[in-house]
Amino acid sequence: MKTNIVTSGDQVEARFIGRLDTPAAVQTAEEVKPLLEMTNKKIILDCTELEYISSSGLRIFLSIRKEAAAHNCTVIVRNINADIRQVFMMTGFVSLFTIE
Amino acid sequence: MDLHTEMLLDEYQAALPELERLLEKVLSKLREALERNEMLVTAVEGRVKTRSSLEGKLALKGAKYTTLSDITDLVGARIVTFYTDDVDRIASMVEQLFEVDWDNSVDKRMLHQLDSFGYNSLHYICRLPGHQFRFELQLRTTLQHAWASINHDIGYKTGVEIPRNYLRRINRLAGILEMADDEFSRIRTEITDYRRRVQSLVKDGKLDDVQLDGDTFSSYLQARPFDALNKRIAAINQAEIEEVPLNRYLRVFKALGCNTLGDVSRMAHQYENDAYRLARHQLGNTDLDILSSAVGVQNICIVCILATGGGKLGLVRLFDAVNGHNSQNESIAELTYEQAKNIQLI
Repeated sequence: MKTNIVTSGDQVEARFIGRLDTPAAVQTAEEVKPLLEMTNKKIILDCTELEYISSSGLRIFLSIRKEAAAHNCTVIVRNINADIRQVFMMTGFVSLFTIE
Repeated sequence: MDLHTEMLLDEYQAALPELERLLEKVLSKLREALERNEMLVTAVEGRVKTRSSLEGKLALKGAKYTTLSDITDLVGARIVTFYTDDVDRIASMVEQLFEVDWDNSVDKRMLHQLDSFGYNSLHYICRLPGHQFRFELQLRTTLQHAWASINHDIGYKTGVEIPRNYLRRINRLAGILEMADDEFSRIRTEITDYRRRVQSLVKDGKLDDVQLDGDTFSSYLQARPFDALNKRIAAINQAEIEEVPLNRYLRVFKALGCNTLGDVSRMAHQYENDAYRLARHQLGNTDLDILSSAVGVQNICIVCILATGGGKLGLVRLFDAVNGHNSQNESIAELTYEQAKNIQLI
């Protein structure tokens, strides 16, 4: 699992690559830390290459969302695959995020 | 320029830093008090009188002032409110904050004859305890402010006297805005009463008496009607629940034919068990132990749509309405439909 963060002006894109399962979550939580300190940004969580997400992954997304709200940032989840969309639906997380 | 005016202007120049400090203190005290009293206003603003403006004033009535501190509007602050009732509420607040010089304060709203309309504002001359200079505080509504600003622009900018016909038209507008201000205040009061009535009906369980709309649905949600179902669903995987606003389900309930809160409540009770069964089927084979508080109401709507023959298309419409239109909603609807079929919900 790998996370690349690319900043371009007011927009920050975090690209998740691989399986965001419980073992990978600790490292991913470290990698997304810069996102938690950003202010006035549009944060895009690009899931084009994210194959799987567990509860630990959902919690990381949630922590990004919470910090973003506190720092006047917006969060958009982009390009989730059908399996992850199903997870978002079953858990009611679809109501927490703007999904594109 | 006479000697007396020159003396006052010199005094002004020397006092300028002190006047600026006074303005900052006044504005800061006003903003703090408004926040403390949870009062929303359009603007809190102020200025120190400019030298040229003071020169103009002294040229007109300089003899009236012995010393600089006789001039009461060297520092001016203004609060612009949304509602006319708020002008009086803020006036009470100001009376607690500052020493009010009642002899020089004037309520311009009360100066009009029965058949005249025009400038409407409350002007207080105040002093910060122990401070040499007084300051003027204007309180007015947004509409009064709009009228006063435009009237000032039309009336004073050109320096040419306005013909009576135009003045009459400007003052007629003041009358219309006064009516609008009163109506806005009345509407606010009536909406507050309506909300209280709705809350009381919801509290007493008289849900059939409450029409379903944005306001009433919010009151209903405050009673947390989906909590019990959410907790049952959370118990499947010992999940924690993340709170999320549920207002977006209003249009789903409306589309499902609910006209009153009673209809929503009946629908929730009717489909609660099947909504739980669907969640158990979906989550039981996973280790997902975090849920949003939308999960219960979402499943109630899914089950209701399928039970009333809405089919896959109905589910797509539900997901479009709640989560925004997305090409993947169709495949999710397909999957949900199959899951519901597996447990004989269809």
